[in-house]
Amino acid sequence: MTDWDATGLPPAAQTRISRAASSALRSSLLSVEGDAALGIVGLTPVGEVMGCIVSQLGWGGWGGCGYSYTRSGSGYIPSGAPPVTSSDSSWAGFAPYVKALYKGYETALHRMLAEAQALGADGVVGVTVTREQLGVAQMWEYVARGTAVVARGKQRPTHLFSTDLSGGDVAKLMHAGWVPVSMMWGISVAVRHDDYATRVAARSWSQQNVEVPGYSELVTYARADARWQFENRVAKYGADSAIVTDMSMRIWEIEPSDGHRDHVAESVIVGNGLAQFHRSKTATTDSLLVMPLRKGSS
Amino acid sequence: MSTKPTELGIPEDAMRRLSEMKPGKRGSLFTSDLSVNEFLLVREAGFRPLSLVLGSSIYHVGFQMRQWSKNQELETLTQAMYHARELAMSRMEAEANLLGADGIVGVRLDIEFKEFGNDLAEFIAVGTAVIADAPPPTGDTWRNNTGMPFTSDLSGQDFWTLLEAGYAPLGMVMGSCVYHVAHRGMMKTLGSVGQNVEIPQFTEALYDARELAMARMQAEAETLEAEGIVGVQLLSLPHKWGGHTTEFFAIGTAVRPLRDDHEIGQPQLVLPLTDR
Repeated sequence: MTDWDATGLPPAAQTRISRAASSALRSSLLSVEGDAALGIVGLTPVGEVMGCIVSQLGWGGWGGCGYSYTRSGSGYIPSGAPPVTSSDSSWAGFAPYVKALYKGYETALHRMLAEAQALGADGVVGVTVTREQLGVAQMWEYVARGTAVVARGKQRPTHLFSTDLSGGDVAKLMHAGWVPVSMMWGISVAVRHDDYATRVAARSWSQQNVEVPGYSELVTYARADARWQFENRVAKYGADSAIVTDMSMRIWEIEPSDGHRDHVAESVIVGNGLAQFHRSKTATTDSLLVMPLRKGSS
Repeated sequence: MSTKPTELGIPEDAMRRLSEMKPGKRGSLFTSDLSVNEFLLVREAGFRPLSLVLGSSIYHVGFQMRQWSKNQELETLTQAMYHARELAMSRMEAEANLLGADGIVGVRLDIEFKEFGNDLAEFIAVGTAVIADAPPPTGDTWRNNTGMPFTSDLSGQDFWTLLEAGYAPLGMVMGSCVYHVAHRGMMKTLGSVGQNVEIPQFTEALYDARELAMARMQAEAETLEAEGIVGVQLLSLPHKWGGHTTEFFAIGTAVRPLRDDHEIGQPQLVLPLTDR
């Protein structure tokens, strides 16, 4: 073991990649179909690549109440105060937590791309990114894995592309004139003060059918902010469109003071930025009606 | 796919585009919740995705006494399931309306009962708002008779085939019925122990509940002046009310004809090289 200063690639990865770059051996995580499809659009796999970061989440979120934090008022809290999202200011609500998540995902992705670059690749397809808690409390491991590919021809991209789409999907997109740019995340955490109206509406003994406007507002804020973050990132990369792969939402309770509970919503959007390279109609798909003859087609 | 990819400049043009990226330039950006197949087929059908749209409602579902030995609809619960879905759907439609969309495709409707608070559930509707390249051949608009964008829960593949066959979606229609199936008395249960017999009471209850759900869905389609409903799913959702209380939920896409004949080209038979 050497003391690695967390810049560039860890020594073990550097060694493996240098050896892979000088060897004729090619590894790939692709399926046979994926590999064949990519071959048609001129992408050849050059090797399996990985990027990883283990980081400590030192600060799980701000423990205060969803109202009084950003607004100086204390004591009397009027009903209907809107939720605070992690984008409202750099210390608002859960901003440091969200920053840590972004950093985890994006560092894993960039380390993976660094390996791919060392292999002389143009991009990485079929990326899977996972986040897992290690045995130790608040230690998280982020891992990105994928297959580095090189494009036929002399033209090289400025930055390597990355996508969690499968080989087949990438081939279809490229055939239709779209190229993946990068995997993107949009993350937001919103917190809302549970006011009197919210508590009344959510009362479990109530026989009434009512919407709980406070909670609806909370999830709407979290999602809207996550979507905004996502779109901003897509635009930042210069991509002109995006396909969302997954959108998840988690809600939990916090107890900022005795007997008082607030609710927190976390929204995570994962997707791919795309760029169109054929503006003409000719490069779009030209579907053929086919009927596959396979077992079980009834 | 008749032209060779290399003749179209793939992958060289793609790499060139990546080398000419202008970071920070916010052009006519769109986001979409569709899969790649759906995205491409929706484009081919003559629609451009505008944005992912969604609507959500966190709803407190009320409580209703059930009579132990009676088959009955639980109207309070039915209304809750209906109203909350309607709220989520209409918020999603409102987003699409603001974008000037012609319709929303690939709509997913989910319900998630929350762990905090009893009887709280989130109802969420997500889809991709699309705009058409050209008005429909009928000369009117793609929107439905309520003036709102059409909605459809069909996959991109089904959507393409539907348009190809000369139909257009009008809106998602649904019907719900939360039903309590009576418990059988002790004597009755004992009376049929060990016998293979129909339990007419149960059969009738399930019939009633499904018919109510389907009839309500049909009524919605009639309001939209639809010719028919495609892709209907009839679901039994147990949610969290115990074994005897179930929601019967019918959902489908109401359609109207765009032309008189509804023929599509003869499909070619292919022998795929994969099992899937």
